[in-house]
Amino acid sequence: MELINIFIKAAFIENMVLAYFLGMCSYLAVSKTLDTAFGLGLAVIFVLGITMPINWLITTFLLSETGLLGMDLTFLRFILFIAVIASMVQLVEMVIEKYSPALYASLGIFLPLITVNCAILGGSLFMVAREYNFAESVSFGLGSGFGFFLAIVAIAAIREKIRYSNVPGPLRGLGMAFILTGLMGIGFMSLMGIDPGAIGNS
Amino acid sequence: MVDNIIKLLEKYEPNKEKQPFLWALYDGFHTFLFAPNHVTKAGVHIRDNMDLKRTMIHVVLMLQLCYLFGTYNIGHQHFLALGEYTGFLEGAHLKLMYGLWQLLPIFVVTHVVALGIEFYYASKKGHSIEEGILVSAALIPLIMPPDLPLWILAIGVAFAVIIGKEAFGGTGMNIWNVALLSRVFIFFAYPTEISGDEVWVAGLESTFAGSAVEYGWVHLTLFNGLFGWLGLAQFDPGLTVIDGFTGATPLALAFAGGWDAVTEVYSQSQMLWGAIPGSIGETSKPLILIGAIGLAMLKIASWRIMLGMVLGTVFTGMLLNFWGATPFMTVPWYHHIYIGSFLFAMAFMATDPVTAASTNRGKWIYGFLIGFFGMIIRILNPAYPEGWMLAILLMNTFSPLIDHLVLRKNIQKRLASA
Repeated sequence: MELINIFIKAAFIENMVLAYFLGMCSYLAVSKTLDTAFGLGLAVIFVLGITMPINWLITTFLLSETGLLGMDLTFLRFILFIAVIASMVQLVEMVIEKYSPALYASLGIFLPLITVNCAILGGSLFMVAREYNFAESVSFGLGSGFGFFLAIVAIAAIREKIRYSNVPGPLRGLGMAFILTGLMGIGFMSLMGIDPGAIGNS
Repeated sequence: MVDNIIKLLEKYEPNKEKQPFLWALYDGFHTFLFAPNHVTKAGVHIRDNMDLKRTMIHVVLMLQLCYLFGTYNIGHQHFLALGEYTGFLEGAHLKLMYGLWQLLPIFVVTHVVALGIEFYYASKKGHSIEEGILVSAALIPLIMPPDLPLWILAIGVAFAVIIGKEAFGGTGMNIWNVALLSRVFIFFAYPTEISGDEVWVAGLESTFAGSAVEYGWVHLTLFNGLFGWLGLAQFDPGLTVIDGFTGATPLALAFAGGWDAVTEVYSQSQMLWGAIPGSIGETSKPLILIGAIGLAMLKIASWRIMLGMVLGTVFTGMLLNFWGATPFMTVPWYHHIYIGSFLFAMAFMATDPVTAASTNRGKWIYGFLIGFFGMIIRILNPAYPEGWMLAILLMNTFSPLIDHLVLRKNIQKRLASA
């Protein structure tokens, strides 16, 4: 039950993009068409779902004082997290290049840029700060990945639709994307404040 | 006679090139009364009297019953708080004039701001005004509390029209419901003016027992003079709020103490007919239902969305009844239909043809999910008293995606059978 709560909370209530405004660069840049957004969303779910437990293992067994090395190495956290994320993204890149060259071509530079997607590093740091255990970190990773997926797919569908609208010149493109993101954030505020774990306990 | 009027009007038609703003103004009001001068000349076109303007006017007409009841109910709630004229029809002239004087400024400010912005953009872009704004401007006063400060209303309307509509390219292009955007803007920017127990009854210092009424020059001199001359009862500036009056809406009561707490204060028939505090136009359920049926029969609002929304609400209500962890969750699902603004949201907000999903299967999904999320927000989210506004805005976000997926599925099905 706790795992489902964490998943729902990460996906809907504390959505990475629309509540924390993390991972904006790839969210804004790759959301012009639904197909690429769909591909990127899946890649982010995968990367978040894999890196979060690996980073959990690293913090618990390598970096903490009670770990295998017996030393407090938390100052290495950022470097190790980035290294893990970068290597996972490399893996995803190779898989996509092998099985879907079209998606690979359309994602272009933004696929390797998932490495520096703040949502992914942010997710790992949230995981440490909130002291999740191993199963919870898997659930949190998948949940926040799913939240990113939902946000990017929704905005891509909206942007495909407003391509036919007479948007005022200065707002075309990125300006409109920012307005859309803000208004989507209002929509997502509807679920903010629900605490799935606390219902019925009070 | 009519020909002469048309000739007179055409004589004064401003030059579109030289005075674009005046022309937009002229054209806007001209087409309220008469068919537009400009018609398509080349090619084959489907001609139908049910053009955009007629569609919009029908929605506005369906709202009139809500306006009428809302006007009276503002006055009725005001006098209930004071403990005077507690019967629904007692002191009708006072209640009507009080409500009118409260609603009229809200109505005028909404229309002046919304139409002013619309005329400005129409002249800027060089097209005639788009009538969609009239429906939004007719809906906005109905979803506001009666005591809302007018400058806040003006800011909310301006935000919704500029950011929510003109930035997207005008009528028919917006993704989010304009009327709800204005309300949500006020809801998040000025939360104390639009939520809580204090705001739903107009014209009191506060809703605590003993606080005085606020009558102005208009009530005490103008209306009282008129009523005195006619020999009717007058406004009494010495009244105070009676003991035991709270101003709390049924939803606030249900959240705190379940169904029993609601029925202690309001009877079921009161909640059904709408003599309860609330946003101006959403309280009377039968009058809203008349509007909903009218719109569905004119095929302006989609019955699929309405039915989908009812199904979603009933399903979620039953699910939460089954869970039953908080007092609000134990309120039986059939009561949820007529407390709060469910019916108003269903009839006039969710069915907005621009922001809803436009495929038939998409409409079912869209409506069902609004019902689902609305109930989740209403019952499980302690931060918001009512869920439909935010649920509809949330599903507006996803309606292009729903349409896209339904279309893709249809294409695949046809390809497979071809």
